[in-house]
Amino acid sequence: MNPAPTNSTVAAGLRNEVLVSDVTVSYNNGTVAVYDATFRLQAGSICALVGVNGSGKSTLFKTIMGFLKPAQGSVTIGGETIASAQRLNWVAYVPQSEEVDWSFPVSVWDVVMMGRYGYMSFLRIPGAADRRLVEASLRRVEMWDFRERQIGELSGGQKKRVFLARALAQQGRVILLDEPFTGVDVKTEAAIVELLRELRAAGNIMLVSTHNLGSVPEFCDQTVIINRTVLAAGPTVEVFTEQNLARAFGGVLRHFRFDESTIQKHDGRTVTVLTDDERPLVFGKDGHVEYSQRNGREEVVKQRAEQEDDE
Amino acid sequence: MMDALAVPFHYDYMLKAMWVSALIGSVCGCLSCFVTLKGWSLMGDALSHAVVPGVALAYLVGAPFAVGAFFAGLLAAVGMGFVKTKTSLREDAVIGIVFTTFFAAGLLLISLFPSSVSLKSIVFGNLLGISDADVSQVVLIALGSLLVLGLRWRDLVLFCFDPNQARALGLNVRLLNFTLLTLLSVTAVAALQAVGACLVVAMLVTPGATAYLLTDRFGRMLGLAAGMGAGTSFIGAYASYFLDGSTGGCIVLLQTLVFLLALVWAPKHGLLASRSKRLQALKAALGRPA
Ligand SMILES: Nc1ncnc2c1ncn2[C@@H]1O[C@H](COP(=O)(O)OP(=O)(O)OP(=O)(O)O)[C@@H](O)[C@H]1O
Ligand SMILES: [Mg+2]
Repeated sequence: MNPAPTNSTVAAGLRNEVLVSDVTVSYNNGTVAVYDATFRLQAGSICALVGVNGSGKSTLFKTIMGFLKPAQGSVTIGGETIASAQRLNWVAYVPQSEEVDWSFPVSVWDVVMMGRYGYMSFLRIPGAADRRLVEASLRRVEMWDFRERQIGELSGGQKKRVFLARALAQQGRVILLDEPFTGVDVKTEAAIVELLRELRAAGNIMLVSTHNLGSVPEFCDQTVIINRTVLAAGPTVEVFTEQNLARAFGGVLRHFRFDESTIQKHDGRTVTVLTDDERPLVFGKDGHVEYSQRNGREEVVKQRAEQEDDE
Repeated sequence: MMDALAVPFHYDYMLKAMWVSALIGSVCGCLSCFVTLKGWSLMGDALSHAVVPGVALAYLVGAPFAVGAFFAGLLAAVGMGFVKTKTSLREDAVIGIVFTTFFAAGLLLISLFPSSVSLKSIVFGNLLGISDADVSQVVLIALGSLLVLGLRWRDLVLFCFDPNQARALGLNVRLLNFTLLTLLSVTAVAALQAVGACLVVAMLVTPGATAYLLTDRFGRMLGLAAGMGAGTSFIGAYASYFLDGSTGGCIVLLQTLVFLLALVWAPKHGLLASRSKRLQALKAALGRPA
């Protein structure tokens, strides 16, 4: 059943990219959820999709997955239409928790095996290669010991990891994650982020919708900010500015301004910020993003120190 | 004594009734797994009533009843889909309206042309008096449905569990939906012969619900439901000889009995099991030093 790669698909594989051009999507009831959206993601990137509730994130996801047909414009993946990209098993997705029927009598193993259906013959009988990949994927998300469990008998974070394993087993080039961090603790979030980084290094494209703004600069190299249309798109360092975010979110963001707070000079840089649900997003003096770890950001620190010296 | 118990096996019509109902029971059992998991119980009930005018018309013009039933079922499904997309009515209301309309039309047809087909045999089933032509249609339907299920059940499971993943893999979700609906309506027709329009829904729900209590694996659930459907139908038809009562009634009551047994004693999801588990957890919690 697996279509042999033609010359065109091999060439497309080399330039693995997602191209959303001039997309307008409307629902049956006449709501135009997204209009004139244009952006491009290149191989080896993690892209955050941020915006307020109802800004069209899920709509854009559904369009990229081919569930909704754009009224205008087009989406292509590696130069292929959505339909052929799907037949090639290029598009994997991790669903939001509320979309899944958790009481269904399937095991963790069965769910991950569903990622392999596209590679199997008409009867969908798994081969040795399928079983190997399912095992490898389950081990990679550390869910191998749970393989016999019914899918509903897991915690929220474990469920997320199972669906991530399914996306891994599918070996998609483009992985869509709709709010992967809701209901997930810090440790699982770190594990997921680590995995996404590995996938990025392997040339995959991840599109992540999230309300957790603080974590975006930490692991997403690209950002698309939308509010019914694309307000800004590009490298996170350029796009993720206080100004752009204020434009997208208006007054709804919670602010903690140090100069308005009770923090005084004697607190210096020893201030500790703790947060249980979302990673705080911290902007520095000129509105640049501050990261939680200096490690791995040495050049940013150095660059900013030099700028300070110039002044 | 043994001779008395073997009596039903000496009559051709009883043998035929038992084997045919076992076959129907196994197909309905398989399908009931999808019906219970997809939440289509009402849909099953609706289709089993909606095929009645098709069956009546088929008998009137002398066509095979399965053909009439198939088109009536299809028309009903399309009608429901149409009303649902055009209004924001709840699905159960739409189903309620459409299937009662079809059933009413069927009743009217049969009452206007009483000689062609008896109302009683459609509403209550007539397994003991089933004609050979009808038997061959039922067997054809059952074997065809089992074949389709055998080839496609994994895709249908994926479609029921996570239609979005099915679509993301490029499967034809519409075709899968149509396949399931078609299987449901042709099976409803077969079951109509055995237990009648009123009780078809029991055949299409109870075995699946019972099997669901007994296992956490879809494959096993399918096997259990098919076995239970076949067994209860066979034994129900057999028992109806001695009781000299309604075959459909015997079959469905037997299924309910098995369901109740599973409800109480199922190893994991049964009432007793969950009670003892709760007690154990409580004991463990109390026994732990504070
Ligand atoms: N099925 C639908 N029919 C009609 N309108 C819809 C439908 N789904 C979404 N919309 C509308 O489309 C717009 C975009 O919705 P969408 O679900 O894409 O938002 P979102 O960015 O994912 O929001 P959230 O952050 O709450 O998940 C909203 O105005 C919403 O009301
Ligand atoms: Mg959404």
